[in-house]
Amino acid sequence: MINLIALAALAGVLVGVSRQVNGRLSLSTSPLVSSFWNHLVGFALLTVIGLVLGGLIPPTAAAAPWYAYVGGPLGVVFVAAGSWLIPRIGATNTALLIIGGQMISGVLLDLLSATPRPVLAGLGGVVLILAGMALTQRRR
Amino acid sequence: MADETAPRPTLIPVLAAFATGGLLTLMVHFNGELGRYGTPVFASWSAHGTGTIAAALWLGLTWVATGKSPFAAADKPKAPLWAYLGGISGAITVILTSMTVNSPLALSGTLALGLAGQVGFGLVADRWGLFGMPRRKSDLRDYAALALIVAGSAVIILSAGSPA
Repeated sequence: MINLIALAALAGVLVGVSRQVNGRLSLSTSPLVSSFWNHLVGFALLTVIGLVLGGLIPPTAAAAPWYAYVGGPLGVVFVAAGSWLIPRIGATNTALLIIGGQMISGVLLDLLSATPRPVLAGLGGVVLILAGMALTQRRR
Repeated sequence: MADETAPRPTLIPVLAAFATGGLLTLMVHFNGELGRYGTPVFASWSAHGTGTIAAALWLGLTWVATGKSPFAAADKPKAPLWAYLGGISGAITVILTSMTVNSPLALSGTLALGLAGQVGFGLVADRWGLFGMPRRKSDLRDYAALALIVAGSAVIILSAGSPA
């Protein structure tokens, strides 16, 4: 269990490392160029891993609806946005605000898709996050 | 000491970061759909593949429209070779989370611990300007914002698994 906890936390650290490294590349190129390399290198590594493990392309893949593949192009914008944000607001604020946006939109998505979730806890969480966001904001 | 504290984020980047988080929700949703038709590694592999194509098309259109290579930035300092390897870190993340999501940690544990890892790394990265990025000194107000956002996220993540 300790190992699993360490792995899950390491995954979060690697998200940060990736954003930081892509941010550095973006300083010398542009957020979009940096995002392109991030995707190409990740694709190459995952191809190797998939070929070693086997079953890279599952037989059911063709049955997936076309829109399931929209996640990739969205990811290009996501990674580019991270590279644009880091030098502007720092790594901590970038992580916090992206997580905040993810949480609040997740609660909204659950509500819209009628996924059962405790409404009060969701609302309380949203209020806490919005208060935190307001604090990061420059005072006029 | 005052000059060591970076200026507070202005409204535009704050809203952009927040919207980026919303984009992540959509990505997770679509990639989850893809994962239902295969493995998490397949979902991430094809997302990286379609992403590479989309980015290449976009860059190609920019090239044609401006007549200048988007890859050449003569006015900027050259990037070190390691700066091209951010994708490795991202690909390993997928492998790790696909292991922990299917463990007793489940999705909520994976999200909550990943959040802690991201924020912890962010503090260290800002303090020492890791990987050649600017240093930022956090003040009390930054820590208060951090506490509020982490607490709110923890409430949302950890309550999702419990019955309404």
